[in-house]
Amino acid sequence: MENNKNELFTFAEFDESKSEHIEAPRYSYWKSVWRTFVRNKFTVAVCIFMLIVVVFSMIQPIFSQYDPMYMPNINDATLKFLGPSSQHLFGTDNFGRDVFDACWAGAKNSLIIGFVCTLINMILGVVIGAIWGFSKKMDRWMIEIYNVISNVPFLLLAMVLSYVLGSGFRSLIFIMCVTNWIYVAYFIRTQVMIIRDREYNLASRCLGTSTWTMITKNILPYLISVIMTYTAREIPANISYEVFLSFLGLGLGQQNASLGRMISQYTTYMNAYPHLFWIPVSILAVISISLYIVGQALADASDPRTHR
Amino acid sequence: MSNKTNEKEVLLSVRNVDIAFDNKTGIGKKRFRAVKNANFDIYRGETFALVGESGSGKTTLGRAILRINELSTGEIYFKGKKISGKLSKEDDREVIRSIQMIFQDPAASLNERATIEYCISEGLYNFHLYKDEEDRIAKVDKALHDVGLLPEHKSRYPHEFSGGQRQRVGIARAMIMEPELIVADEPISALDVSIRAQVLNLMNKLKDDKGLTYLFIAHDLSVVRFISDRIAVIHLGRIVEIAETEELFKHPLHPYTISLLSAVPMPDPRVEKSKKLVVYDDSGRDLSGEKPILQEIRPGHFVFANDREMKEYDAILKEMEAKEAKQ
Repeated sequence: MENNKNELFTFAEFDESKSEHIEAPRYSYWKSVWRTFVRNKFTVAVCIFMLIVVVFSMIQPIFSQYDPMYMPNINDATLKFLGPSSQHLFGTDNFGRDVFDACWAGAKNSLIIGFVCTLINMILGVVIGAIWGFSKKMDRWMIEIYNVISNVPFLLLAMVLSYVLGSGFRSLIFIMCVTNWIYVAYFIRTQVMIIRDREYNLASRCLGTSTWTMITKNILPYLISVIMTYTAREIPANISYEVFLSFLGLGLGQQNASLGRMISQYTTYMNAYPHLFWIPVSILAVISISLYIVGQALADASDPRTHR
Repeated sequence: MSNKTNEKEVLLSVRNVDIAFDNKTGIGKKRFRAVKNANFDIYRGETFALVGESGSGKTTLGRAILRINELSTGEIYFKGKKISGKLSKEDDREVIRSIQMIFQDPAASLNERATIEYCISEGLYNFHLYKDEEDRIAKVDKALHDVGLLPEHKSRYPHEFSGGQRQRVGIARAMIMEPELIVADEPISALDVSIRAQVLNLMNKLKDDKGLTYLFIAHDLSVVRFISDRIAVIHLGRIVEIAETEELFKHPLHPYTISLLSAVPMPDPRVEKSKKLVVYDDSGRDLSGEKPILQEIRPGHFVFANDREMKEYDAILKEMEAKEAKQ
């Protein structure tokens, strides 16, 4: 009996640590973001298209050397209002300028302003909003400042400031940033307040973590996807703001190429030469929509709940 | 205090603590007293359990000891030093280091966007409790080993772990600070029944190895009986009875304690069937006489009563003791 047992059965070795082993492949946040983003072929196609448009509008003006104040053909009636042709892809306008060159020069300015303003607003807004959400003392007076600023119509402020500062690249960026960061900050402040008192933050406090480390290690990583979504909305919004202000004559001056100014100038030719109006409008639409789609896809991908 | 308890060193004492929350925005301006006049001592090396139903203020009291909630009145002393109210910077850091907490929900209490290595070293970073990078990693490895996890887990994220593993990460994170007192706020109530024993045994083992003291907050009396040395029963913010574990289970005096103990499920179905549930109801009780206070009825056994009730309780106790003596 005893022998039998020894022959047929042997003690299996038991290793407790084996049961703790995790078989799943290692998780990396940014790799998962990339994988989720690439999974949707449509957004990848839009992304490539958007990159081509952006790069083209940055490079084309260098070669065309387009300057809206340079009008050599102003007295040559045969070169005005030409339709699209192989020589002038988008035709010419009332001063005999090439619309194709004008569009890309304008798109370049719009894109630069859109990106720069978004960058400034987001950095200021996120940093101030994160501290705002934590500090009760700061909250007390920041909320008053917010109330005052949000009750002043933006257009009024933009008008006053552009009369004071004059038109130009820098003053336009200043106008678009001087108050708009506070909306980002207010949004971030609310988000911070929502997750500030979650249990894992209490745990960090029990471990003696400072507020600044809490913001950078506990709060902001949680807000990445929220911030991405906001940025995705902000870039096209800032581009159309620029166009809107230039359209009203408050933004870039005569000396700068601008989609908004083109649209406002060409509105008068809408019946006679519709292409003059519709070409800059559709370029603006294509840029905004593709930026928005790519931004949304990135924002979705940065939400870990979508990671498989 | 009796002679027996006086021999032990008092680690933490809670004196006349009231915790109230003001409703500033409400129309009624109501003040809610979550904890009413709490008094107790925790001795070094023991497991002191705080038991009560949901909303009885046990978590609030636990968090007040960690100074997350502010006291309205009263004081808390840790190793004879007052830790409630304002503290100097060094004292503050020292208290933060030596009182640690284990949280109820392991899914919510870990930073989901940080690796386990960061979660565990967070306290080390804050207090710079390591010589160099190598020492820190060695400490993290040891802490992981102590709770039965593997060094390869360091680069993982909390969501990849099971509930029990996560709770052990939470324990490792508290242990690495080499604390003296650990406030465990229902550390197993969010866990699967099958791994509760694992975590409880781990906590007991660590307590013996490192000479820790626990304040164990729970509502599950069978668990409390297993792990704790002394029990305080809290009801609607008021501590109604404090006694050593066996004493409390044998001689429960306060009606609330009796009804709480009657709710413990019995593993024997025949006993369970014949068990009578006592529902606690304040309205039927004789509350005449002066205001009750927490009084010592037997050495180490405190009950919340006035003089008239004390006499009644004393009679009941004597009867119970006489019965036991016969057996």
